[in-house]
Amino acid sequence: MIKLENVTKVYKGDIVALRGATVDIQKGEFVFLVGQSGSGKSTFMRLLNREEVPTEGQIFVAGKDIGGLSSWKVPYLRRNIGCVFQDFKLLPKKTVAENVGFALEVIGRPRHVVGKQVPAILELVGLGDKVSAFPDELSGGEQQRVSIARAFVNRPLILLADEPTGNLDPETSVGIMRLLDRINRTGTTVVMATHDRGIVDTMRRRVIELNRGVIVRDQHRGVYE
Amino acid sequence: MALRVEYLVRETGNNLRRNVALTVPAVLTVAVSLALFGVSLLLGGGADRFTQQWRGGIEFIIFMNPDATQDQINLIQNSVSTSPEIKSWKYFDKQMAFDEFRELFKDKPDLVNSVTPDILPPSYRVVPQNPDADAVTALAAQFENQPGVKQVRQATDVIKDVESLTRYIKIGLWVTSIVLFAVSLLLILNTIFTAMTARRREIEVMKLVGATNWFIRVPFMLEGLIQGISGAVVAVIATSVFNGQVFPRIQRLEILKDFRVDSGQLWTTSIWLIVLGCVIGVVGSLFGVSRYLDV
Repeated sequence: MIKLENVTKVYKGDIVALRGATVDIQKGEFVFLVGQSGSGKSTFMRLLNREEVPTEGQIFVAGKDIGGLSSWKVPYLRRNIGCVFQDFKLLPKKTVAENVGFALEVIGRPRHVVGKQVPAILELVGLGDKVSAFPDELSGGEQQRVSIARAFVNRPLILLADEPTGNLDPETSVGIMRLLDRINRTGTTVVMATHDRGIVDTMRRRVIELNRGVIVRDQHRGVYE
Repeated sequence: MALRVEYLVRETGNNLRRNVALTVPAVLTVAVSLALFGVSLLLGGGADRFTQQWRGGIEFIIFMNPDATQDQINLIQNSVSTSPEIKSWKYFDKQMAFDEFRELFKDKPDLVNSVTPDILPPSYRVVPQNPDADAVTALAAQFENQPGVKQVRQATDVIKDVESLTRYIKIGLWVTSIVLFAVSLLLILNTIFTAMTARRREIEVMKLVGATNWFIRVPFMLEGLIQGISGAVVAVIATSVFNGQVFPRIQRLEILKDFRVDSGQLWTTSIWLIVLGCVIGVVGSLFGVSRYLDV
């Protein structure tokens, strides 16, 4: 599903964010990306979403080399990749249902599809009773659920989660991880960057560790360190 | 598709409403620049009509009798072509005189219909070597009593003044409106940029979930287009008011009674203004979106 071949990313000023990364992630896998701040986790995620292009090497997503993708095709790639962030990135003036529906609306999905899928996904993430609430009326955990609902409402092949529990307390984080696990079980490949030792050690999934831009460990059913 | 139209209307409306403090100055600047441009076109048209027979340094016109014989016409032609005091001349036959008459009075079809080429006088339009008033008068007088000549008319000072005055006014209006065009482009670009900054989070989310660049851009471009068109509509109204109020006052002066703009020209000018308004709106917003919006 995701394949990196000797990928290097160098930013302006010769800052090497990722060096010679080679990884193969199968469809339906759940992968933790761990490492200290500045180790290259975010660059790794941004490369998969084509927010960055590799300086060297090739990245394949669903069999396509996305490094050479012309810019007008990038939106269509992103429709297959859901993104979840530490800061949720919800739109404060839109209700829960509008926030989720927005993701379908802006890719031109017809109204009846939006009307059907949004309540279903909100039910799935356990927010069936909060459709009309605004983000600032929700707890952090609930906001992250909205964000996950938005990322998943289009049934993407891949879900990228960048520190999704970074702003949440441990108990709430467990709920979020259960949700991500559930999404993973539907066949969606999940790549999650995290600093949360407890979560990684409890879930025992594949762990890829980065250190100063280099992959230093790639372990199945791994732990944080 | 229904959703798309609804989305476009809603987003564009929201942008315009949120941005009203910037939208209004942008619309007004477009309106002022286009109104000046429109007035300069009308003034130009009026002046062209007024001075039509006298363009290109023509100082006097020898009108022949409509029933002048070919010999009489040839005699005058011989004189003008051999005179060393005449720089150039042009013969206007009856048909040309009729065409010119039709052009001059095209907003008065009754008058045009009552005239045939036969009753119009052929004429010679003369550019003398020396444009000094005395020299011209002396030269013109030589033709006055020739056989077959009905009348010799000299360009009056009024015509010359109107010609040069309107030229300066037109240049002034053009320069001002070009400067204001540039200002309105920048103002529209600025409103689009502000609208995009206010919605940067939404744009970020739209990009993340895979909205195409055009889908993101179109509401902003529509916003620019609406600003341009609104400005143009105000300018059309202002130009029409100017045409309705100012030109009749100019014509009230007996010597300026030929300073006219027909309704056809007002229409052409209005269409020009609307087209220019659209261009300013789209170009301004296109600059804005392409500069501040990349994948």
